[in-house]
Amino acid sequence: MSTIIQTQALTKVYGANGTAVHALRGIDLTVEKGEFVALVGPSGSGKSTLMAILGCLDLPSTGTYTLDGHPVQGLSGGELARIRNEKVGFVFQSYNLLPKATIARNVELPMLYAGVGRRERRERAMALLEKVGIADKADKLPGTLSGGQKQRVAVARALANEPALLLADEPTGALDSKTGAEVLDLFRELHQQGNTLLLVTHDPSIAALAGRRVEIRDGEVVMGGEEEDSMSSSSPGTHPAEHHLEVGR
Amino acid sequence: MTSGAFRERLFGAWVEIRENLGRSILQALGVLLGVASVLGGFSISDSQRRRADQMFVKMGGLDKLNVQSKAAVRDGRPTAMQQANLGLRDADAIGGEALKADAIQGVSRQKNARSRVVSAYGDQDRQISGIGGDFIPANGYGVARGRGFSATEMDTGAPVVILGTEAAQVFFPKGDALGQTLRIGSIPVTVIGVFEERIFRFREGQRNQFWWRNRIIAVPANLVQRRMNGDAYRRVDRITFRIPDMGAMGAFAKQLSDLVKANHRLQEDFRLDDVAARIRRRNSQGDVYDIIFMLSGVLALVGGGIVNVNIQMAGLKERVREVGVKMALGASGREIFKGFMTEALLLTVLGSLAGLVLGVGFSWIITKSLGIPLYMTPASFVWAYGLAAAFGFLFALYPAWKASRLSPMEALRYE
Repeated sequence: MSTIIQTQALTKVYGANGTAVHALRGIDLTVEKGEFVALVGPSGSGKSTLMAILGCLDLPSTGTYTLDGHPVQGLSGGELARIRNEKVGFVFQSYNLLPKATIARNVELPMLYAGVGRRERRERAMALLEKVGIADKADKLPGTLSGGQKQRVAVARALANEPALLLADEPTGALDSKTGAEVLDLFRELHQQGNTLLLVTHDPSIAALAGRRVEIRDGEVVMGGEEEDSMSSSSPGTHPAEHHLEVGR
Repeated sequence: MTSGAFRERLFGAWVEIRENLGRSILQALGVLLGVASVLGGFSISDSQRRRADQMFVKMGGLDKLNVQSKAAVRDGRPTAMQQANLGLRDADAIGGEALKADAIQGVSRQKNARSRVVSAYGDQDRQISGIGGDFIPANGYGVARGRGFSATEMDTGAPVVILGTEAAQVFFPKGDALGQTLRIGSIPVTVIGVFEERIFRFREGQRNQFWWRNRIIAVPANLVQRRMNGDAYRRVDRITFRIPDMGAMGAFAKQLSDLVKANHRLQEDFRLDDVAARIRRRNSQGDVYDIIFMLSGVLALVGGGIVNVNIQMAGLKERVREVGVKMALGASGREIFKGFMTEALLLTVLGSLAGLVLGVGFSWIITKSLGIPLYMTPASFVWAYGLAAAFGFLFALYPAWKASRLSPMEALRYE
């Protein structure tokens, strides 16, 4: 089994010396291929920052991050964009579909940036929409869809380039419990098909669906940083360095 | 790009323009007005200039060098030499022609007089044009009826006359003027021809600007010189050299000037008038108008461009999230930049096409109301379009660059 996410002593500091905010204080996290990981933590814990770094939307201040074998730190904006395009699929709480583009075009967009030809783009987009069960809406605009349907489109779009990592940020946050459950079923299905999932949530019942829970508090991993640790969690407040020592056991 | 990314960008840009129609029209308006004003301005000045060229052609061509006599003045008084001087003479014409016989296509002389002209119907004080050489074609005249002067008549100063249409009408309102006799001063002359009517209206509906050319009463120059106000020196009022080769004109003018000055005891009692040079001067005045028109067009484009930047920057605020989403999906800053540029340039293209149409309409209306034929050159189109493209590109750069520099994470969180 190959490693998808591997971070070591990841820190993120915002602002200058005097008023610096330490959003992340040394994160060690390993996620293997095919895992379904729930990232939990209260607001302000740094999980959004971590999510942004894991999704290559942002770079860490210090520490190393390797995504599917590619070291990420020190990359330029353009290189980061390519890694996001090829390796990461995002699903957002607010769907973030482009309102002026049809459903099919929304799904095609990541393939367009990857340089996939027009016909193949269309075929793959239709196959993905089939997979999430809304192929009949391909030529509709996002505005005409319900929340659950929009989130399915977002999932199809996230899968467009067969990413190594699927990152979902509160994917059911804007949905009612029934449609939310349906979307979660979709995620479980994707997990069973071998996709690697990282799901950010604050809802314990959703986190319970995941194979592993990683809890963040005050910019540090308090539980579940390594796969083997997931059940026998280290006590809260453990220094990240200790996690570091456990790597490769 | 093998994936048709350009076509996709173009399509995306078109969707964006269509979705924000009001904003897009406002953006295109600056370009549109700029293009229309450059094209319109150029076309109007081109039309005017071409009409003027047509006038000069109708006057007998541009390839002429006139020599006329002038008072030689020193310290505000006529010089003693001037008073003893002989003025412009036949010798000057003959000497001038000898200077560049191969380049000169024709020489015409003119010797005018004022005299009483009497027929059975009319009795008027008129100007008499004594003409010699190629005067008739060189000045755009043509004999409509009857015939021109024969070489013998020219040489001997025979008492024959060719009338302009107005003169023919005044002196012979009834019946045919041909073959009739007219008295100029005390000399009876026979009418042997009538000139074609000369008509030129610079602008439609204007009076005939060549009307006075129809008043001509033309006799052989030798007749005037010998029998009306002649003198032993055979002075003339004007000599015209016709030189089709414009390149030879300048050198010839210099040589001629030296020759005539030498003939005239070094008195500058003559004036050279290079018609082509006069037109060049007039054209360079036209260039000033072109610059003014271009400047006003450029100012419209700059104004429009600044408005565009403002609109784009305001629009960008609404679209930060969209940019963030695209970036999250893997669009690089370069890709975002290209997207915004494509949009702005598509707007520029559409705006300038509309501007070209408007410019044509604008020039058509103005030239119509001036009453001159519309004349547009491809160069005006190229200028108008090129300027719009350049300014459209220039002013699109900043908002596109700004958009491409957004941080994907902050853009995604932007509300």
